[in-house]
Amino acid sequence: MISELLTQLRFLIFRKRRRELDEEIEFHLKQAVTTRIAAGMDPAEARRQALIEFGGIELTREQSERQRPGWWIGTVMQDVHYAFRGFGRNPLFTISVLITLALGIGATTAVFSFVDRILFRPLPYAEPSRIVSLGFVHPLERQEFVMGRFYVEWQKDQTPFSDLAAQSTGVQNCDLVENDPMQLNCISFQASFLPLFGISPALGRNFLPEEDRPNGPPVVMISYGLWKGHYNGDPHILDRMINVDGNPVRVVGVLPKDFQFPTLEAAGIVSPFAFDPAVQQTVNGGFGHPMRLFARLKPGVSVAQAYAQMQPLFNGDLKWFPPSAKSETRLSIRTLRDRETQDARPVAWVLFGFVVAVLLIACANVAGLMMARGAGRQRELAVRSAIGASRGRLIRQALTEAFVLSFAGGLAGLAIAKALVMVFVRLAPTGIPFISKAHLDLRIGVFAALVSCLCAVIFGIATALQKPRLAALNAKTSMSRNHAFLRRSLVTTQIAISIILLSGAALLLRSFTKIEEQNLGMQTGGVLTVKVAVPRLRYNTNQKVMDFYLRLESSLRRLPGTRAVGMTDSIPPGGWQDGFRLSDLHVQGKPPIPPGTGGTVVGRSVTPDYFRGLNIPIMRGRNFADQDRTGDEREVILSRLLAERLFPGEDPIGKRFLPGAHVSGAGAIVVGVADNVKNSGLTEQSDPEMYTLRRSVSGDWGGNHLMVIVDSAMPVAAIEPWVRSEVSSIDHTIPVEMEPLNESLNRLADRPRFETTLLGFFALTGLVLAIVGLYGLIAFMTTQRAHEIGVRMALGATRTNILRLIAKDGLRMVLVGSAVGLGIALATSHMLKTLLFQVSVYDPLTYILVPLLLSLVALVAILIPARAGTRVEPAITLRAE
Amino acid sequence: MPQSTDLLQGTLDLLILQTLALEPMHGWGVAQRIQQLSKDVLQIGQGSLYPALYRLEYKGWIRSEWQTTENNRRAKYYRLTQTGKKQLATELATWDRLSLAIASVLGRATEASS
Repeated sequence: MISELLTQLRFLIFRKRRRELDEEIEFHLKQAVTTRIAAGMDPAEARRQALIEFGGIELTREQSERQRPGWWIGTVMQDVHYAFRGFGRNPLFTISVLITLALGIGATTAVFSFVDRILFRPLPYAEPSRIVSLGFVHPLERQEFVMGRFYVEWQKDQTPFSDLAAQSTGVQNCDLVENDPMQLNCISFQASFLPLFGISPALGRNFLPEEDRPNGPPVVMISYGLWKGHYNGDPHILDRMINVDGNPVRVVGVLPKDFQFPTLEAAGIVSPFAFDPAVQQTVNGGFGHPMRLFARLKPGVSVAQAYAQMQPLFNGDLKWFPPSAKSETRLSIRTLRDRETQDARPVAWVLFGFVVAVLLIACANVAGLMMARGAGRQRELAVRSAIGASRGRLIRQALTEAFVLSFAGGLAGLAIAKALVMVFVRLAPTGIPFISKAHLDLRIGVFAALVSCLCAVIFGIATALQKPRLAALNAKTSMSRNHAFLRRSLVTTQIAISIILLSGAALLLRSFTKIEEQNLGMQTGGVLTVKVAVPRLRYNTNQKVMDFYLRLESSLRRLPGTRAVGMTDSIPPGGWQDGFRLSDLHVQGKPPIPPGTGGTVVGRSVTPDYFRGLNIPIMRGRNFADQDRTGDEREVILSRLLAERLFPGEDPIGKRFLPGAHVSGAGAIVVGVADNVKNSGLTEQSDPEMYTLRRSVSGDWGGNHLMVIVDSAMPVAAIEPWVRSEVSSIDHTIPVEMEPLNESLNRLADRPRFETTLLGFFALTGLVLAIVGLYGLIAFMTTQRAHEIGVRMALGATRTNILRLIAKDGLRMVLVGSAVGLGIALATSHMLKTLLFQVSVYDPLTYILVPLLLSLVALVAILIPARAGTRVEPAITLRAE
Repeated sequence: MPQSTDLLQGTLDLLILQTLALEPMHGWGVAQRIQQLSKDVLQIGQGSLYPALYRLEYKGWIRSEWQTTENNRRAKYYRLTQTGKKQLATELATWDRLSLAIASVLGRATEASS
């Protein structure tokens, strides 16, 4: 067997000389002649008879040649060679197909690589589809949470879940106090947490039940990143004592490298949640501590069933809630994927739709081009068939061409995809989950390439499959009306899809410009925001915190060029901010507001300079004054919206609030009304807002969110180092984060910008492809009709007549395509609704401009080849055949 | 790879191998010998003889070399290789089985020819 293979290999490499066979045949013939002469035949006759007996020498030669192993490889090379010659003769066709394939495959692969992570890629847990996040939601907290008191009951009475595990509500700052101190994020979860997700530690072990208990032994798990980074992957990390916030704790485990918290937060240190059912009835007004809850569905239980089974428990819980909260609180059970991807899903689906559409256009294009080429080659095929090429050989030739094209296009496409992914990752905002982890997905690249290849192959061999007709040989022109309808439909479809893509992208673009242009109600240029997080370990009383910030304030005020130094717990329009219900406000001398009505109010605790720093105009009354900060009275300023809601047609100045939400102590007095500021993100409706004065009283300095805003006459970049040195001169261990307000605002617009860029890019790709297809078809049909045009011109048609003739054909396709596309776009545009800001899904401007733009571009694509068509000289075309 | 494996071709291969088993021979000689031995019943078309010889050579069952004939002419002589001998044995065995089977089907349990 092996020797046989070796022999074949030898012959594959060393060909036999052609002459050898010739000599052999010559010898054979001589022998035959000699024998016949010996039998008494005339020499000439003997040779003639010998030749007849031998049969076709050429046939023998060919047959013998065919026995050679690897003979077929040679013919494939021949095919490839021939294909290349064909491409060279027809560069327009070749380039069109290559561009189409490269753009189609490239764009599709790149975008799918992103969408895939959000929509399809399984989460890194065991059976992730059975894990849910459950709890209450209400307008102030849209992520599920549960209060300890109810968790105790749920653990006891729930039926749909096999496991439950709680996690603290979020990460918190903590300090690693060692010789190399470090500020970290800490989180805690129950011992049942990791098993629920099917995760085991990379090193060490999970918490033991006795550690996950109040006053249990102090242990922690650390993240892989912290272990590798801070501890240099120390193999003896287990059982090592480390100091977190001044408490020595023992490291018992290291989390896996690719572990991600279901809340997608990053934490360096995890401690046991140490849930104490006993205290939950007493703390926090009898509600217990808030927490995040995750659960694993029992086999066969759907999310909807689980919801139905939890509903009675939830209804029982509701009676504990204050009336105001009752109507707004709901039970929510979401799959983990829904929770993790949040509102990225609509975008992802829209993108996915765009991907499919562009791939469709690309395929239609390739198909159309291949068919056009096939039709143009009927004559050539007929000739080749007539001189002895078999059907199989012709089909193989067509296949070879399709494969060569697809391969080249696919390679170019993957290169484009690679580049695009790099560009997208750079453009991508941080807010979209998973996007930074996107990388070129080869599976999908191969899939896109295969789909395109299939189009090329199917339509490429369609023409070769037809038996070449003899008629094609002597036909005056090689014109074919075959498939003309199919080809036109393909182009029409492409136009229709482009219209859909373009109008989608145009809607987003309109929405984006609206976002950018809207009036935020405050100045953002030249303002620096400074985030200083004081470590709770040393700043353990509100007094210490206040002293620090007041010192910082006065030292920043001394900096040259400083116009205002304000302090606040949050900055609009996005990010964390305090909030409460409108119905929780009690105005003195007014009936209470019915619970559950009026929506939410944003609360901000600020110093007087806040309004000066952000240049927010005070419409009525006055700003907080510096002397208010030391007074006993509590002053508040209302936003215009809140003032109109609470005091319609009245003067709000001097009105008093009774103690309640956001108002403590003896109540507060309204001293002013500020203009509205965008405060619920860039795209949401603004909420009413209430500013309370942050007085220089230690009670006003609780909470761990504090930001300083510095408005300076100096350039922002110049004052940054000064601010840094001022902070470190007070306490050099405190980390400072600084950012010009402009930039953080810009970041908020990142996401719509990214979405718009991505969809716009896709729509343009689709447009380019469709135009290439249209151009290619018109150009092809014009060449095919050269003879007809010649006849028409000879009979007296003018160039304009001809131009009209050709253009009419193309314009009909554009019009039909546009109409169909417009219809579908209008019918499906509601899917974009969640992505749009202040733009109707039926925005008239979009639906007028888009078809207009497309028609213009299409007109150019029609006129260029059509004009070339009219340049024919009748005398030449008529004699050509 | 075009390769028909019908009975005829297989039979021709067998005949060539058998002929060459006796002594190395050139293409003309093979044709003559088969014709003689079959008492002119089997006429080998040269159109299929040379492709068959090439095929067998490519398979490594026979090997060729240029030699001088007794009439002092240069001719290409084919000889059986070691693998060729083994192949001949298996093909003969197959042939025996096959012809016996056919003979039994036809109800003529005569002696199988080789």
